[in-house]
Amino acid sequence: MGSIEGIMTGFQTAFSLEGIMFVMIGVLVGTFIGMLPGLGPISAIAVMIPITFGMDPSTGLIMMAGVYYGAVFGGSTSSILLNAPGISGTVATSFDGYPMAQQGKAGKALAIAAIASFTGGTVSVVLLMIMAPALASVAISFGPPAYFGLMLLGLTAIASLSEGSTTKALISAVVGFMAVTIGIDPQTGTQRFTFGNANLFEGIDFLVIALGLFAIAEVGKLIIARHDDSLSDKRNVGSLKITKEELKDMRGPMSRQSFVGFFLGVLPGAGATIASFIGYIMEKKIAKKPEEFGKGSVKGLTAPETANNAATSGAFVPLLSLGIPGSGTTAVLLGAFLVLGVQPGPLLMVERPEIFWGIIASMYLGNIVLLVLNLPLIPYISKILNIPRPLLIALVIMFSMIGVYAISFSTFDLYMLVLFGVLGFLMRLFAFPAPPFILAFILGGMLEQSFRQSLSISNGNFMIFLESPISLTLIILSVLSFIFPLLKLRKKKA
Amino acid sequence: MLRTMNRKISLILLALAAFYLVMTYNLPAYTYTEIDADMVPKGLGWLLVFLSIVLFFIKDSETEEQRERRNIPKKEIITLLAVTGMILLYIFLLEILGFVAVTALFVFFCSWFLGYKKFITNAIVSIVFPVVLYMLFTQFLRIELPQGILPF
Amino acid sequence: MKKFLSLLLLAVVALFAVACSGEGGSEESAEGESADSGEGSGGEESAESWEPSEPIEIVAPAGAGGGYDTTARMAMQTFSEEGIIEEDMGVTNKVGGGGAVGWSYIADQAGSNHHLFVTSPPFLLVPLNGQSEYNYEDFTPIANMIADYPAFAVAEDAEWNDLNELFEDMKEDPASVTVVGTSSPGSMDHIAFAYVAKAAGVDITQIKYVSAQDGEGVTQILNGSADVFSTGIAETAEQARAGNMRVLGVTSEERLEGETLGQFPTVKEQGIDAELVNWRGFFGPPDMDQAAVDYYVEKFEELSNSEGFADVRAQFGWNEMYMAPEEYQEYLDAQNEEFQSILDELGLGQSE
Repeated sequence: MGSIEGIMTGFQTAFSLEGIMFVMIGVLVGTFIGMLPGLGPISAIAVMIPITFGMDPSTGLIMMAGVYYGAVFGGSTSSILLNAPGISGTVATSFDGYPMAQQGKAGKALAIAAIASFTGGTVSVVLLMIMAPALASVAISFGPPAYFGLMLLGLTAIASLSEGSTTKALISAVVGFMAVTIGIDPQTGTQRFTFGNANLFEGIDFLVIALGLFAIAEVGKLIIARHDDSLSDKRNVGSLKITKEELKDMRGPMSRQSFVGFFLGVLPGAGATIASFIGYIMEKKIAKKPEEFGKGSVKGLTAPETANNAATSGAFVPLLSLGIPGSGTTAVLLGAFLVLGVQPGPLLMVERPEIFWGIIASMYLGNIVLLVLNLPLIPYISKILNIPRPLLIALVIMFSMIGVYAISFSTFDLYMLVLFGVLGFLMRLFAFPAPPFILAFILGGMLEQSFRQSLSISNGNFMIFLESPISLTLIILSVLSFIFPLLKLRKKKA
Repeated sequence: MLRTMNRKISLILLALAAFYLVMTYNLPAYTYTEIDADMVPKGLGWLLVFLSIVLFFIKDSETEEQRERRNIPKKEIITLLAVTGMILLYIFLLEILGFVAVTALFVFFCSWFLGYKKFITNAIVSIVFPVVLYMLFTQFLRIELPQGILPF
Repeated sequence: MKKFLSLLLLAVVALFAVACSGEGGSEESAEGESADSGEGSGGEESAESWEPSEPIEIVAPAGAGGGYDTTARMAMQTFSEEGIIEEDMGVTNKVGGGGAVGWSYIADQAGSNHHLFVTSPPFLLVPLNGQSEYNYEDFTPIANMIADYPAFAVAEDAEWNDLNELFEDMKEDPASVTVVGTSSPGSMDHIAFAYVAKAAGVDITQIKYVSAQDGEGVTQILNGSADVFSTGIAETAEQARAGNMRVLGVTSEERLEGETLGQFPTVKEQGIDAELVNWRGFFGPPDMDQAAVDYYVEKFEELSNSEGFADVRAQFGWNEMYMAPEEYQEYLDAQNEEFQSILDELGLGQSE
């Protein structure tokens, strides 16, 4: 079967009445679950698996794909409104989304996120369709040294994520990196810094750190400011209006980050989180007014939202073309495939073209559904911010608690959440930025593992990092990206 | 005063780094690998030592706004501590009394304590919200939350 | 009041989503079935036996979506769909410590007749590595249900055609071969390879093992970063079928069934005397009542023989491997000893 024919079959499957219905159900349920505390795409897909049992494979998978990107989008809502990122891919969204919502522009922020997601999603699906088979080789081109280079490049963002003192940003990052070394080391099985406590064996969960440093710490600030109403214009909270000026601002980041996000998403293990951070930093570096970033910049919100959705489609490349699940989420999705009797792998496209292309076609549809369903809901969702401060504070605390509890089911993690909440609050007071902490926490683990895997493979020879052209390029880029801002700083002072 | 603030933090960080390094140097060795589990942590520990020393000596670049953040009235500090206490109590009671009961009590008393005076709305919200969430999680999503003393 | 309305609206949205999922889901039909068969089986049971009186909690000592979780959820679902157990059941995930957090939770439920949990070889390995204060002897065995098998694969263009060629090279220069797996050293993937390599006479302390998460293992084999992939059959089958990888050996006793799987040579037929099963079964808390154990044993046997569970096995590529408590216990005793000797040789064993 030629691929044109396959694509046609796929579109027929997806655009049938049944297909459209299940995409809608999937997107709706996914968005909704994604908005719930602590539940990201992984849980959304896991809880939907039993429901697909016995369904026709293509319809079941089309629905699951809907659940997947619905949940990714739903996750950004809590980042923007409550500064409570539910999944790592939306941490960068909160950097500018939350300040924007605090300025009384919650509706606008959510609308920008929806449009950016839509664009990132749609562009990347086109890329996926044209290049999925060809990209299979890209997906496996990254060995451990190349991953090391990529993580290093991501880490150089620390300097640009600081507000003021670079020293403090670096300290914040080092402590974040230290936090991720807690747990059983995958390479040796050695327990590190666990104090023999079984709760720490698998390390501290990302969500505990993110909700602690961001949401709970923010609660502290809200408590102090609970009497004064910082929201200048309450009535416009739900307004979706985006000015021409703002649309113009969005255009650049959207067109660039759709591509960057997609290609990073293709790499197994890299995915939406790294795409969103790299997207954010890249836009900040080339922006004319980088000082606006972190204070509610349109570009700063558009970049990570475009990138993380583009990466979501990108992640389907290794899954569909090679059967490699590149992340926890796609691993669960792989499980969903198996339940439906579909084995994703190199032969899927040849043997079950209707499923392969059906999923891809359903993504077009899903992106449209996502936009159409969510835009009208935004005015209502953003009214959450009109809830009186004292009540909102109590609800945010509860939201964070249940979020952490729903993934670990242990009160130990809840105590850790409070601990990181207090730490995050103190960091604010003493002007230590939190983003470098969380960035180092996310990237540090992979950086260390790929570093040690590489050296294990090379029997301790450091040349392995310079021998592969990909890692060499990435390392050079990292060095430049780290030194450049410092030089700029020097110049300014002189 | 401010110079000493940086110095105080620097000393705390040095203590943290020292503690971390001591643990790192006591990690058991694993013989079958080129790079053992302690290499990266050692690097991190020493890096933190270095950065704390830098922090000790650099001139403070804090802006007036950042300094202002630390000016918290004593009354608010007590409020913060009280809320922290409530959260800890919430966690402690969660698996004993169950999700619905503790959450309802927490939402009600926490928002009341923070100055929300509409009792009826507060009571309705603090009961409806946990019940709806509980039902959603346990019935629809099949994720168990602590049931506690309530019969469902 | 307006604010309250917006809250209410949220709740309505929530309910709407629930309603939607009800349409797409199989919940209704499942409930209907179990109600029907409930009437029939109720009368046949003898009056003497123990029956559950409250919801049964099945603990998956890992997060959602993994092997433990899938086994638990599929068993739970089939139990109710086939009407084998009518009492409500729920799966709870106790994440952490490669299972240790879940086991310590179950240990706290000593004497309960309404808790069960899923087990697999890490249930032996993790305690042997000194990473759990409880081991299998502290709990009540109920039944083993399924079997999966470790497999070793290399890239299609690799220089080795069978395990013996690979092990010859490893005997000469162990550091020239990189083995990649998902688990950490001392757990399943590492020990499975070491187990077979030891039987072939390789110095297992010299094996170069790299742990890689998130499907990176396949990537590393395909791009040549690592040489041998130690994993489960399911992870290799598709790659082998597509001609990207070659499976050098599986650890089952005989060749497996299936067009692709049947082509995989066993370790045994290559003259290496080693067999290893990645089994999965169910245990109960310490001091479970004998009557309750008998109840569950009967139910699990019925589950294992049911058509519904046969479908589940086929869907996930699992093999049937039912074992009643006594047999299960003996099997684990023997396997525990073997694991211990390997871990001791590697210097990883930490329990006495």
